[in-house]
Amino acid sequence: MLGKASSSHAAGGLCGSGALSHVYIQHPPLRCSVPGARGLYYDDGNKLVLSPTVDQVYAWKTAPYSPYTNPSVDSIGEGPVLSIHYSLDGKVIGIQRSNHEIQFVNRETGDMFMQRCGSESESILGFFWTDCPSCDVVFIKTSGLELYAYEPALRALRMVETKRLNISWYIYTHESRLLLLASGMQCRTFTGFQFSFGGLIRLPRFEMAMTKAEANKKPVLDAEDVHIITVYGRIYCLQVDRVAMLLHLYRFYRDAVVPQGYLPIYSSKIAVSVIDNVLLIHQVDAKVIIVYDIFSDCQAPISAPLPLLLRGFPRINASSSQSTGKDTTHIIANELSDLEGTTYGDGWMFLVPDFVCDTVHCNLWRIHLDLEAIAASSSEVPSVLEFLQRRKLEPDKVKQLCLALTRTLILERRPVPVVSRALDVLVASFSHSLKIGSNVQRRSIEGDQSNSGNQRAGGSRAIVNESISRDEHGKSVYGPTRGLDNESQKSKSVPVDNESINRTTGSAMNRPSTCSDSEDSSNQDVTTQISGAGVGQLSSHSQTLAIGLDAFNSSVSGQRESRVVSPVISPDEMYASVFSLVEEEMTGDPAYLIAIIVEYFRSAASEKLKVNPNLNVMIIQLLARSERFEEVDLFVVNKIVEPSKEVALQLIESGRQNYLTRKLGMDMLRLLRLHHDYVLLLVQDGYFLEGLTFMFTDSKICVNTVRPSLFLEAAFTSNNSQHLAAVLRFFADFIPGFKNTSDHNTYCRILSEMNPSLAA
Amino acid sequence: MDGHGAILTSHQSDKVAEKNKKSEGIWRVDALTKVLKEVHSLFVMFHGSLRALIEKDASGGIVRVHLYYFIIDYLNNFIVGNKVQLPSFHDCLKERGTVQMLTVGREAAIAVQSLVGTMESLCVGNTACDSLVLFQDLLVSTTLSPDDTVNLFTYAVMRLTPHALSSSTNSWSYLRKSTVSQVSTGSVLLTAGSAPGEIYASGDTSPDNRSLRYHVPRPLRRENWTKGKDGFLVCESWAAEIADPVSKTPTLLLQKTGERVYLCVYQHKNLSIILLIPVNSVISGEQWLSMMKQQLLENVSLKILKVEERLTRGWGGENAYHVKGYRYLLVDSDRSISRASPPGKVTTLSKDSLLALTKLREEVDIEKKRKKEDDPQHDKDLEVCIRAGNNAWVIARLTRGKELYMVLEKANETLLYASDAVEKFSSRYCDGAFSLD
Repeated sequence: MLGKASSSHAAGGLCGSGALSHVYIQHPPLRCSVPGARGLYYDDGNKLVLSPTVDQVYAWKTAPYSPYTNPSVDSIGEGPVLSIHYSLDGKVIGIQRSNHEIQFVNRETGDMFMQRCGSESESILGFFWTDCPSCDVVFIKTSGLELYAYEPALRALRMVETKRLNISWYIYTHESRLLLLASGMQCRTFTGFQFSFGGLIRLPRFEMAMTKAEANKKPVLDAEDVHIITVYGRIYCLQVDRVAMLLHLYRFYRDAVVPQGYLPIYSSKIAVSVIDNVLLIHQVDAKVIIVYDIFSDCQAPISAPLPLLLRGFPRINASSSQSTGKDTTHIIANELSDLEGTTYGDGWMFLVPDFVCDTVHCNLWRIHLDLEAIAASSSEVPSVLEFLQRRKLEPDKVKQLCLALTRTLILERRPVPVVSRALDVLVASFSHSLKIGSNVQRRSIEGDQSNSGNQRAGGSRAIVNESISRDEHGKSVYGPTRGLDNESQKSKSVPVDNESINRTTGSAMNRPSTCSDSEDSSNQDVTTQISGAGVGQLSSHSQTLAIGLDAFNSSVSGQRESRVVSPVISPDEMYASVFSLVEEEMTGDPAYLIAIIVEYFRSAASEKLKVNPNLNVMIIQLLARSERFEEVDLFVVNKIVEPSKEVALQLIESGRQNYLTRKLGMDMLRLLRLHHDYVLLLVQDGYFLEGLTFMFTDSKICVNTVRPSLFLEAAFTSNNSQHLAAVLRFFADFIPGFKNTSDHNTYCRILSEMNPSLAA
Repeated sequence: MDGHGAILTSHQSDKVAEKNKKSEGIWRVDALTKVLKEVHSLFVMFHGSLRALIEKDASGGIVRVHLYYFIIDYLNNFIVGNKVQLPSFHDCLKERGTVQMLTVGREAAIAVQSLVGTMESLCVGNTACDSLVLFQDLLVSTTLSPDDTVNLFTYAVMRLTPHALSSSTNSWSYLRKSTVSQVSTGSVLLTAGSAPGEIYASGDTSPDNRSLRYHVPRPLRRENWTKGKDGFLVCESWAAEIADPVSKTPTLLLQKTGERVYLCVYQHKNLSIILLIPVNSVISGEQWLSMMKQQLLENVSLKILKVEERLTRGWGGENAYHVKGYRYLLVDSDRSISRASPPGKVTTLSKDSLLALTKLREEVDIEKKRKKEDDPQHDKDLEVCIRAGNNAWVIARLTRGKELYMVLEKANETLLYASDAVEKFSSRYCDGAFSLD
C-alpha cells in the first residue's frame, strides 16, 4: 500500500495501451445522436447539449455529467435553427431562426412568439440569456447590442437598452458572464461587457496584439482564435497570434485589461479547456496537449506536450474471447479506428469548460486530467504537491496521491531540504484551508442560487473579477487607467469598508479577505470585488461573488456529496498516513526519519499547528532506539515534544536503558499533575519516603487516590523494616481510621515478624 | 529523615568568620578536584589517554612534552595579574565541569534541531556526525553524550566562541606573552637549551638531529583559532600530528565511542556550530573536508542565518538569568548542567556570605559522598538552611540529582521566609523541581 499510488489506468486506449498521457477522455461518451438531427448545439448557460430535429429539440444535461443521461424532448415547431439557448430558469427556449428572427417557446404552455430585427441592413450574430438584473436576453447584432426583458405575460420581449457599435463577431461564456465584441478591420479591437448579477459593466476598449506577416498584409483575427477562460475565479482571454505562433494572455480587471505575457504554440489551430482550474491548450494540428497552471507568475507548462488518451475502451482481444462474438469485435474495431480518425478532426468541437463534442459521431466526451500521470512525470515533488493541493475536483484522490508521494519521498530518503519543502507545502495548504474555514461549502450553495437565476439582487454595479488593490503578484496590475478611473480609486481606498461589510452582512463568504496573505488569489479576487461594490449594496455581494466562481461551483457541487471536500492533509492524517506507515517501512538508522519529523514540527510550528500527539511519542521512541538520549533531553526540556501523559510514559519506557530519560518522564508526570502515576513510579523505584512526602504535602490530591497497600507492599518487598515502619506510621498518622483496616493489622504483624524489638 | 530540614547552627558560621583573615586560602576540595578532572579530560580528549601515550613511547618523553605544554596552556586560564589563581571561595556559585544552557522557546528549539538534522543528513552518508551548537557562551544543542558535551563545551568556551576569540587577542595577550612567550611557537626544538626538549631528546645528541622539530599539538594555546573568510574557524598553528603530517584540521577523541573526529567550527556572529566528523569516514582528508564544508554552507547557511537571528532576538543579555534578590547556583548533576547568577551579580555578595556558602558546600559535598557510598542506586534529598554571621540565609537543597545553592542577603529573619523564597524560586525557574507539592 505504500509507494506511488497505483494509477487506475484502464488497459487499452485510443493511442495504444500504456501510452504516456496526462489528459484523457473516458469511454463511453455521452451519445447525443437522434434520428433526423440537424446538428449539435451547446447551451453553456445551462450546460446542455442540444440536438434539434425537424420540430423537436433533444437536450442532454452535462452537469452533473453522466454518459447515460437521457435527453429531454421539447417541441419547438418547424424551421431552421441557427442557434438555440434555454433560458436560465429552463422555462423558455430561444431559437435563432435566421439572421433576423429569434423565436421564443414557452416549454410549459407551448406558447411561441417571434422577435424580429428592425432593419434589413443589420443582422443578428447571436443571442444569450443572462442573469444580469436589468435584462434577460441579449441580442448581438452587427450594429450593436440589444438588451431585452422577457415578458411572458405579454408574450414579447421588452427593449431595455441598446448599445450602438459595429460588431464583426463576438464571443461570450456564461461562466465568465463576459461578452467580447470584435470590431475594426483586423477584428482586433475589443469592447467588453460583463453581465453580472451586480449589473452591467463596460470594460475599457482594448486591442489585441497581432504580428504583421508582411508589410502591407494585415491578418484578421478570427473568433476561433480568441478564448475566454476562467481559472481560480479570474477571467482571462487567450488570443492566438498565428503569425508569431504565440498565445497571448490577457487578464480582465474591473477597469483594465492587462497583458500577462504569452505562451508558445505549436499549432495554428488551438483549442482550450479548463479542468479544475488547470488550463489545457490543445495543439490541434499536432494532436497534443500542453498543461498549464496559471496560478502564479510562473507560466512554465506543468508537463511536456502529450497526446490525449482514450480510456476504458473495451479491448479488442479481451472482448473477442467473450460471448459477444466477432461481430461486436468488428464493430468496436471499426469504432476505434473511426475515433482515431476523428480525434482533433474538424468535427471536434471544444465546449466550455471541459467538454469536447464529436459532431461527426454525435459523442460528447468529458476531458479528464490524469493527476497520477502528472505527478509521476515530475521529480520536483514539492511543486507537484503544490499543484495537487490546488485541485478541488477529486479531493479524495488528490489527497491519497499527495500522501503516497510524501511517503515515497521519505522512503526514498530524498535530501532533507527537499522533503522539508514538500512538508511545508502540505502544512501551508492545510493551514490555509483552516483559515478560510467553511467557506467552500457556503460558496457552493450561493453559487447554486445564482445559477438558478431566481434571485436578482438589486446591486447596480456589477463587477469583473478584479483584484487591483490586492493582487498578490503585483505585476503590472496597475494599468494605465489607474489614476483616471474613479472606480479603481474607490476600490483601492475601501479595504476597511470591506471588513465592515463582512461583519454587517455576516457573510462568512467574505472571510478570506481577512487572511490577506492567503495564496489562493481567487479569494482575494472575491475580496476586492466586494470592496469595489461599495457599501449600501450588501444584498448584491453574495450574488456577485458567484461570478467567475462557476468553475469552483461546478467542481465543488460535484463533490459535495462525498465526505472529503478538500485535498488538504490534517496533522492527524499526516501521522496516520505518512509517518506511522513510513516508520513501519523504514529500516536502519532512524536519524533520517528523525530529521524529517523535526522538519515537520518546524513546518507545523511556523503555521501554529499542533502535531498529532502520537508523533511526539514516535520521535521519542526513535531517538531512544538510536540511543540519542541527549537529544531526548533537549526535545523534552525545550518542549519540542509537547508534554503529555503518553510522552511521559514513553519516556519512562525508553528510560529503561537510560535513567535520565526515565527521570524526564517522571518530571513530566509531576508537572502534568498526574500525581497518581507519579507516586506509583516513585514507589516502584524505591522512593517510598519521597512518595509519602509528596502525598503528605499535597494530601488533598493524593491520599485518596493512592492506596496505602501499594506503599506497604513496596516497602515490604524492599525488605527494609525501617521503610515499612515509616510507611505504616505515615498512614496511621495521616489517614483517619487506617488503624482499623486489615492492611494495618497485616503489616503490623509482618513488621513485628521482621523485627521483634521494633514492634515492641 | 535523611537530612531533611537539618539546620546547621550559627556557631558553625561563626567559625567561618574567624577564618576571614586567611580566607584567600580557603578552597573547596571538590572545586579543586574538578579542576584536575577538567584538565585531565581535556588532555584525554585531544591526546588520548596517558596510558596510550606511554605505550607509544615507554621512555615517557612524549607524554611529558604533551603534558608540559598542555598544562602550561591550561593554567594560562587562571592567571590573574602575574600569578596563578585557582578557584577559591569567590567561585562558590559556579560549578566547573558543567554546561551552561541557553533557554530557548519551542520554535527556536525546533529551528535549531532542524538545522542540526539537516547538517547531519548532509554530512556523511552513513556515519553519524555529531554537532554542538552554541550561542554566545551558552550551549543550545548537542548530540554528544553528557561527558563529551562537557569537555567540548569547556573547550569551546575557553577557546572557540566569539568571546574567547576576542579575549585571546585583547586583554589576555599581554599576559600570555609575559608568561609563556618562550614556548609559543608550538613546537619543541630539540636543543639542549630548552627544558622540554631536553627531556625528550636527552638520548639524542647527534648534530644532524639538532634541527629536527617534534610537533606537539597545543589545542589550548591561545590565538590558535581565527575566523576564516568562509566563516569556518581556522586553526593556525595546530602542530601536525606525527601520524598524519598532512592534516591541518584538529582532531579529538570522543569518550563515549572512542572515535577520533575532525573538529570543524563554523561561526556566524554569536552562533558557533561545532561539527565532529569521524576521521574514519573521511577518505581523502583535507580536500574532502573542504568540499563538505562548501556543501554544508550551500545548504544550510540560510538556516544558520535564521537561527542566529531568532536566538539573538530572544537573547536576554548577559544578565538574562539573573533573578532579582537571589544569588543562586542550580546544578543538574545527572545531566552536567548548571545555571548561576551572573558573575557581575555574585560580586555584590559580601565575603561572609561567600565563605559561608563555601563552607556549606563543603559539608554538602561530604554528605553527598557518604550517601553515594551508602546507596549508589538512589539520589538522596537534602535540605540545609543556615543563618550566616551577616544574617544572610545560605541555603542548599538537593532533590533527585538536582542541587540548588542560594544566598539571600536581604532576607527576613524567619526560616519560613527563607524556605518560602526557595519555594518561589523553584516553582518559577525550576519547574517546581525543588518544591514539595
